[in-house]
Amino acid sequence: MRIVVDRPRCEGHGLCEEAAPRLMHLDDDGELVLDREEIDEADAALANAAVRVCPVAALRIA
Amino acid sequence: MTTPPTSDVDLFADEVVLDPYPVYAELREQGTVVHLLKNDVYALTRYAAIRDALMDWESFSSTSIAFNPMANEALTGTSLASDPPVHTQLRATLTENLSPRALRGLKGRIEAKADVLVAELVEKGSFEAIDALARAFPLEVVADLIGFTGHVRDNMLRWGQAAMQVIGPMNQRTAESFPIAGELYAWCSQVKASDLAEGSVGRGIFDAEARGAIPPDTAGHIIHQYLGAGVDTTVAAIGNVVALFAAHPDQLDLVRENPSLVPAAFNEVLRFWPPVNAWGRRATRDVEIDGTVIPAGAQIAVLLGAGNRDPRHYENPDAFLVERNPVDHLSFGYGPHGCAGQGLARLEAHAVIEALSRRAKRLVVGPEVRVPSNITRSIEELPVLEVIPA
Ligand code: HEM
Ligand code: SF4
Repeated sequence: MRIVVDRPRCEGHGLCEEAAPRLMHLDDDGELVLDREEIDEADAALANAAVRVCPVAALRIA
Repeated sequence: MTTPPTSDVDLFADEVVLDPYPVYAELREQGTVVHLLKNDVYALTRYAAIRDALMDWESFSSTSIAFNPMANEALTGTSLASDPPVHTQLRATLTENLSPRALRGLKGRIEAKADVLVAELVEKGSFEAIDALARAFPLEVVADLIGFTGHVRDNMLRWGQAAMQVIGPMNQRTAESFPIAGELYAWCSQVKASDLAEGSVGRGIFDAEARGAIPPDTAGHIIHQYLGAGVDTTVAAIGNVVALFAAHPDQLDLVRENPSLVPAAFNEVLRFWPPVNAWGRRATRDVEIDGTVIPAGAQIAVLLGAGNRDPRHYENPDAFLVERNPVDHLSFGYGPHGCAGQGLARLEAHAVIEALSRRAKRLVVGPEVRVPSNITRSIEELPVLEVIPA
């Protein structure tokens, strides 16, 4: 599985990073960077938490 | 499939807007959807259905976010009242200046301002928390952000309150507020770049219009939405911070001992007492929810405050517990229309909670005064009688 960002929708609220700092971070310009393209079983719960917490629903699992 | 259960509850009755939570509990038990005969609205009462509805703009249109046709008419063309694809474009211009990216430069200034103000109040020892903090702070932050000066600054509170009040049904409160909301509208229709302080975000919006980065004549509308959506809500939230920490000193202790709980504490304040408890949508088709059908065309009341207290989603929902960190609360809405100003609201509230928890050990307060209001639920007066410094 992987995480997909809807770029136009992402406003850089960064709540996803707080939920899953191992998988993603905001860079110095406040742009979201995914640190792992492929998500393994062990990180599935984290990935789901990040998707769930995004206030504008800019993330999904594919 | 059946028709939803009905209820005689009046969502906008004085006693309900003052304390909606017992009524919400009753409605939530009746069903996920309850047809409120007095208001002729279909209320969504449970967490999961509310979150789904906020995401599903195709079934639940924003063309009727207000509970009276005049307000919906007046809001036509704004981001708040539009559906995709138009909404997507409007939202982009609206958030460009409000996203956490755009606000990063303001963080230090907002924190410093909050700390100075809180230090003064703690030093004083007794003060009226709503005027001295809950109103003073966001008014100053938003005025500086947009670059307001002079008489506009003085009118921000009145205008902001009226803009929310008129979202209600056509009752006396709404009727009395329309002329005041009209003053705000009229001012925003004629405001020019030169009316706003140099270097402000408001001035930047006009520059963007002049450059052609946003369509002609949109700058005034954007400023209108910042004022209409961003003042009364934030004032309510900060007043609630003070009242809830005064009532729950053990929770204030937790934040002081562990300042990394500041964001969690704000999430819990918003979950527990949302500034906006009920908000509208219109069903575009027959929508089935949990076996009942909402008819096409029906006015919906999305009960954010009921979803936030749904025991199906939050354990022990009527307890105020900062450590639960309810990141998925509904108080900013969710999805395409999810609050565009939440980054700013967080900056302001986190700064206040951080300063307050660092400087005050206990707040001893007198009885809070509340005045019924259609949409924003806020405290009108909250006397702090004594501050025990940390
Ligand atoms: C604690 C404070 C706040 C609360 C509780 C709050 C609440 C909300 C809610 C519930 C919505 C969703 C409306 C819907 O789904 O139709 C919303 C949207 C919005 N808010 Fe806030 N808000 C707050 C602060 C602010 C601030 C500070 C600003 C701007 C300066 C702002 C600007 C907006 C705008 C422009 C929208 C419309 C977004 C859209 O339609 O895409 N809000 N807010
Ligand atoms: S929480 Fe959502 S909007 Fe914020 S950075 Fe993550 S994906 Fe973007």
